[in-house]
Amino acid sequence: MSYYFGRGNSKWIPYLLLFPGLLFYLVISLGPSIATFLYSFTDATGIQGAQMNWLGLENYREFLFMGQASRDNYSALGRTLIFCFFVTTIQFSLGLLLALLLNQGLKGTKFFRTIIFMPVILGAVVQGLIWSLFLYPLGGPMARVLEIIGLESEFFGGQPAEAFAWVIVVQIWANVGITMVIFIAGLQTISAEMYEAAKIDGANGWQVFRNVTWPLLTPSINTNLLLCVIGSLQAWALFLVLLGYRNGTQVLGYLIFAQGFGQTSGSVTSSFRQGYAASASIVLFFLVLIIGLTLQTILRRREEQIIG
Amino acid sequence: MKKATILLIISLVLVMILSACGTEATETAQAPEGETQAQSGVCTEETTLKILAHQNPPMVDFMTKFNQDFMAKHPNVTVDMSVVNANDLSTVTQTRLTANDVDIIDIFGFANAAQPYMKNVTPPNWQTLIDAGLLADLTGQEFVKNYDESATKDACSYNNKAYCINLGRVSYSGIYYNKDLFEANNVAVPTTWSELVAACQTFEAAGTPCMTAGGKDGWPIFVGAYGLIGSVYPDQAALVQGLWDGSIKWNDAKSLEMWEKMKVYAQDMMESGASGIAGDAAPGRFASGAVAMFPGGTWYGSAIEAAQPAFDWGYIPFPGSDNPDENKYLFGKYDQGWAVAEKSPNKECAMLYLSEFSDPANYQAFANAVGFIPTQPGAMLNTKIGQAVAAYLANFRVGYEQYWVAPKGAGQYANPFATYFKPFGTYDDPQELADKVQADLQSGLDANQ
Repeated sequence: MSYYFGRGNSKWIPYLLLFPGLLFYLVISLGPSIATFLYSFTDATGIQGAQMNWLGLENYREFLFMGQASRDNYSALGRTLIFCFFVTTIQFSLGLLLALLLNQGLKGTKFFRTIIFMPVILGAVVQGLIWSLFLYPLGGPMARVLEIIGLESEFFGGQPAEAFAWVIVVQIWANVGITMVIFIAGLQTISAEMYEAAKIDGANGWQVFRNVTWPLLTPSINTNLLLCVIGSLQAWALFLVLLGYRNGTQVLGYLIFAQGFGQTSGSVTSSFRQGYAASASIVLFFLVLIIGLTLQTILRRREEQIIG
Repeated sequence: MKKATILLIISLVLVMILSACGTEATETAQAPEGETQAQSGVCTEETTLKILAHQNPPMVDFMTKFNQDFMAKHPNVTVDMSVVNANDLSTVTQTRLTANDVDIIDIFGFANAAQPYMKNVTPPNWQTLIDAGLLADLTGQEFVKNYDESATKDACSYNNKAYCINLGRVSYSGIYYNKDLFEANNVAVPTTWSELVAACQTFEAAGTPCMTAGGKDGWPIFVGAYGLIGSVYPDQAALVQGLWDGSIKWNDAKSLEMWEKMKVYAQDMMESGASGIAGDAAPGRFASGAVAMFPGGTWYGSAIEAAQPAFDWGYIPFPGSDNPDENKYLFGKYDQGWAVAEKSPNKECAMLYLSEFSDPANYQAFANAVGFIPTQPGAMLNTKIGQAVAAYLANFRVGYEQYWVAPKGAGQYANPFATYFKPFGTYDDPQELADKVQADLQSGLDANQ
């Protein structure tokens, strides 16, 4: 066996080359994560110089077991899972459909690909502004459509369930471009000869999709599912921009922000409870970890069965 | 060749790492020069004075002009004012104070302090900022003496020291009304709740929405109904204590009267679509004549005048009771103030800025522009809104929101918000909502026994 970097001191070269990246990861990602975990056991406010006291498990006790507030937190957890389910299934399906359509080599493909991907690069504030204008209840485009059919709605300011549904729509609109692009990349790795062989064997469109396209798209499917699930579990920015702190609409990601930055009481002098918010973020971390690892295991086994 | 390439890569990486250390050393070396700048004069050296303010269009316009004048007077100073939405002010304040990236901050009057009867509550953010040593002690500064002692004591003091100057009080329990629309529809200015309901019915029948608010910002719709709390509980400090000690409940007979009126306010008075109107846009909508009334704070007066100078409007306390004598209170708070960052490298310049701002002539111009109830003795209520509220100032009371601190464990509904009713929320039955609000509050009270 030959050693690329040689023997002796040269064998340390790969570790030296990895060191900057590892240092960057420790400083930017792992370090703050460990700090968050430690802060979750304190009454940290995030204010420089403020006294910080060790509370032990008190923050977790409050988040999980204290009064109606803890039951509201479980409701937020439930809404987080509902949000994840609907965003994942719809965004995944829509992204696949768009990718299949735009991989046909039809006229205008590049134009539509650009249009569909554009919301991804806009950012939550612009995304929120666009939809706030579209769903402006006093004469916005959607309000006018509803008026024609004799209906009216407050949209984001109305019934919590409806407002929540609209955030799902915006989340999908904002991110379906990524799903589509990943699927397009996957479709383009499938050799044309596979399709020709299937057609020669007499396969119809559905049979070609089921027996050729779908199995060979496995890596893209796995990537998109993981991205959709993990991204939607952690969503919070659109909730901040579109809804603010509205009862019956919060998900865990937004609740963490609201608690950490004093947005929960409606008063501008609300306390910053970043220790408490840190404990909520650890709960969310374990939720994402359990769901993410389970999904990854299932998808990896499926990939091994299909592709080998 | 391969080894040379590898060595080159390693060298580049080490240079990148070491360059960070070099930057820090350079900054440290520059520190003595900074100290010399501070000692040589106030606002005479090249300085950028960073100010953080919340979005209030008349105030921002005034401050923009004041900053230009200040820079003209002190040519070496650049005033860099950042403006954020009021909902984001505390978050951005915390971030920028922590980063030592601001010299003067906009801070609302100190409120929501923990009271002796409250158990296991966290201190408000202004107290945490002071305890962390992030706000400068202004006690003894000459310009602080330009303000009412009582305003400084009530809105800016902690442990007998002053940490800000408070620029004015506002009422948030009044209603602006369109005089032309009232006259055109032959409606008298309401002095009782029943008269207000009848007035709204008249306007709705004529095809004019009764009320509007900037509901997109969240708080304007439910704050517009705060006068209804005051009509039932005029002593709101006592209300908060009563809720904590159990002598007052959100679902007792007296509170139920309030909830029933809030349902009417949310469903029959407030226009459909109000939840989509931005806070800044609501005064303009009212000034355009699109609606008859606009429940809101006195801070909107200047914006309404700016939107339509010829528009004829009035301002009355929200008539939440059928007894006119109970409708003469204005509930509100100490609004905006200025504080100085303790760790600001431009502290002396910041103090000079506040000193020039606090000059009585300038302050009068500020109060006129913004419509605050002045906190400097001798300042006149020269504005239209000032004249409208003058008769009620003797009955000004600090509102519920300034006293309330929720117990830990309380549910999200533990607040007297009209927006819990449809179409903005999910409730339609006042008793059901009252029971839910009390249950959410009780859950927190019980959890802290």
